[in-house]
Amino acid sequence: MSNAPAHTPLEETPVPGAKRVIIRTVAMKKIYQRGEEITHALRGVDVEIYTGEFIVVMGPSGSGKSTFFNMIGALDSPSEGRVFIDEVDVAQLTAEELAFLRCRKIGYIFQSYNLIQYMTALENVTTPMAFGGVTPDEARTRGMDLLELVGLKERWFHRPIEMSGGQQQRVAIARALANNPSVLLCDEPTANLDHHTGDEILGILQRLNKERGVTIICATHDHRMMNICDRLMWIRDGGIERIARRDEVEVEVGAID
Amino acid sequence: MKRIDVQEQPVLSPGRIFQIAVTGVKYRLFRAVVTVAVIVVAMAFLMNILTESLIKRAVAESVRDQIEEMHRVDRWIARLSMPQTAEEILEGLAEEVRRTLPDEPADEEVEAALQDASPYLRELTAMSGYGMDEILALQPVAREAIQYLRFFDNLDYGRRRVLVGPVESTQIFDRLQSERAWHHFTSNLADMRTVRFPFPLEEFQAFIERWDELETLVSKVRDGQSRAIAAIQATLGEQPVVEALRDADGAFGDTLREAGFALTPETASLLAVEVERLDYTLLIEGTINIHGVRQAVAARRDILPGDVTMQMIWQMLRSREGAEWFIGVMHESELATRGLTAERLEEIASQRAHARLLAIAERQTREAGGGLMGIGTRMTWLAFVSMLVCAVGIANAMLMSVTERFREIATLKCLGALDAFIMSVFLIEAALLGLVGGLGGALAGLLLATTRMAVTFRSLLWPALPWAEILIAGLISLAVGIVLAAISAVYPSFRAARLAPMEAMRIE
Ligand SMILES: Nc1ncnc2c1ncn2[C@@H]1O[C@H](COP(=O)(O)OP(=O)(O)OP(=O)(O)O)[C@@H](O)[C@H]1O
Ligand SMILES: [Mg+2]
Repeated sequence: MSNAPAHTPLEETPVPGAKRVIIRTVAMKKIYQRGEEITHALRGVDVEIYTGEFIVVMGPSGSGKSTFFNMIGALDSPSEGRVFIDEVDVAQLTAEELAFLRCRKIGYIFQSYNLIQYMTALENVTTPMAFGGVTPDEARTRGMDLLELVGLKERWFHRPIEMSGGQQQRVAIARALANNPSVLLCDEPTANLDHHTGDEILGILQRLNKERGVTIICATHDHRMMNICDRLMWIRDGGIERIARRDEVEVEVGAID
Repeated sequence: MKRIDVQEQPVLSPGRIFQIAVTGVKYRLFRAVVTVAVIVVAMAFLMNILTESLIKRAVAESVRDQIEEMHRVDRWIARLSMPQTAEEILEGLAEEVRRTLPDEPADEEVEAALQDASPYLRELTAMSGYGMDEILALQPVAREAIQYLRFFDNLDYGRRRVLVGPVESTQIFDRLQSERAWHHFTSNLADMRTVRFPFPLEEFQAFIERWDELETLVSKVRDGQSRAIAAIQATLGEQPVVEALRDADGAFGDTLREAGFALTPETASLLAVEVERLDYTLLIEGTINIHGVRQAVAARRDILPGDVTMQMIWQMLRSREGAEWFIGVMHESELATRGLTAERLEEIASQRAHARLLAIAERQTREAGGGLMGIGTRMTWLAFVSMLVCAVGIANAMLMSVTERFREIATLKCLGALDAFIMSVFLIEAALLGLVGGLGGALAGLLLATTRMAVTFRSLLWPALPWAEILIAGLISLAVGIVLAAISAVYPSFRAARLAPMEAMRIE
């Protein structure tokens, strides 16, 4: 299946410095319908995200950020429009290929963590590795490394219920990194963290982005993020209000000051 | 720069899936215990019905002969007042003999066969005036007749009426003699989808043609029996048959044998003993109306004389000491004991207790036989209904435990789980719960059933317990538990696993 033309990634090697699109949406809409009540969570979003970019998504609560993340992370299907990941139309992938994509290529940090309640921190982190075919021993070592990275090495045997919100969030971050994803989708990753821990997480994200070229898309209300991102994107009422490079925004902020 | 190139996902090893499933069960132990409890109750119910029915059937089989014996006196009284029915005669004839004759037997051989044959076959020759060789020649035909009679007996009235009209038993064969009735029978049989005639039609037709011969024999036997009965009634005069049977191992037995009845010396002496026992029983039962005896028993038991019951007296007589004491009381009250010793009295009392047990067994096992595993058609139906109830209960329990985990299923899918993995986890979990629940239920049902049956059948139970069949019933319950649990877990987990992860997360 992976050899079918529609699924083949662009083979040409990118010109150094040239921007390659990794996620692209075309007139993407999402309509939630519950009985009579219809919610337009996204009203036609066209956006291109480049490989290696660090994008911050901002917007008021209920504007559609999480919905947007679900769509571009291949976790939900848009009501209308299309989503391309690495120029592959997500709608055309088989169940197995989708599983592969979710497992190895995209890391998710959910707003509500979504940890598996009956697994310890370590088991939560190693589960995606198990799905990816990593041997249990290797998964264990790597899982411990990741937990150390987020500062939870000593608590590897705790279950989610025995951890604070911030600790759970950090486990969720470690889990998102389990299979060295190319794209990291972070839905408010620092919302529950204190200033210091938040800084550490930001540092990790920044390092992943700079050193390993991981594309990071991050919804946040945290203004520190703005200092490390490449572009900013504002979502309001299910539509993109504005996309701007950081230097443009900084100029404005400076001008206002 | 990292690039995405989409490939297929590897499949997890069964061991790892099992491990994950077990971790899940352990974490939700309380929920699992509740689910298992539902399965245990359902399976215990099923197992209980199966086991009780099997035990009843086994007890029925093991006491059949004893019950036959119990009715020996009644049977002989009946035989000495009326000729047997055609069906009884055919059944008697169809029974095994120890020896078959060569094609052209010599006289001595016939004589030897006569000696060797069952007493009943000898009675048939005596009553009908047929030779033994003729009787033996008809024996296979009689066996066939029994087969066909069973078939027609097992049909319900409506179907039998459509096939052969409003007749039953051997009248059916008489009726099928006519060309029209035979034609009617074959054409209706062909039309009737729900009835399968398990024998070749040509054979049945051949049998119908030979029925005349058998019929003649049967009516001759009945005539002979009627004549013999009349003769014996004449010698008895006013005397009731029971009283005459007291002398079954003496002169009266000889009279019966001379009249042609198949009364072996062994049966005769058993009959005599039996009649004597009946006599003594009546004697003892009569004593309860004697004032002195009542007083004595009341004093011994320290109760009011009005509260003394026969049951109480029989209970007391089952010990040697009690029997001796009672004989003493009878002497004191100047009652005739007619040679009844304490030893014999004790024996009669315990035989009576056994007979009561047999009577209970007979009543309780009347419905045994037929249906699934021979547990009776009504019980098969009950087992089937209970299975349905189990299915609903288990499905409900499993559905609840799966639906409350849709969020977990969605999360696993977000992390790259394959649909097959998610379904395997739930399947394994359900099968584990089904296994534990099924085992527990089978044991609980077995225990309950054997206890209940032990109370009913007491000493009759242990020798009759059909262990092998109970084991099969247990395995059936176990399999039903596992399969039901698995099926009812597969459906919801399949539904959830197929959805897009976020879609599944939204289901409440
Ligand atoms: N399952 C659902 N059914 C119906 N409406 C939904 C559903 N999920 C989200 N919505 C609606 O879609 C809109 C966008 O929701 P979304 O969760 O994307 O907002 P958000 O930007 O992530 O908000 P927040 O910052 O609070 O997380 C909201 O109006 C919400 O009510
Ligand atoms: Mg959100």
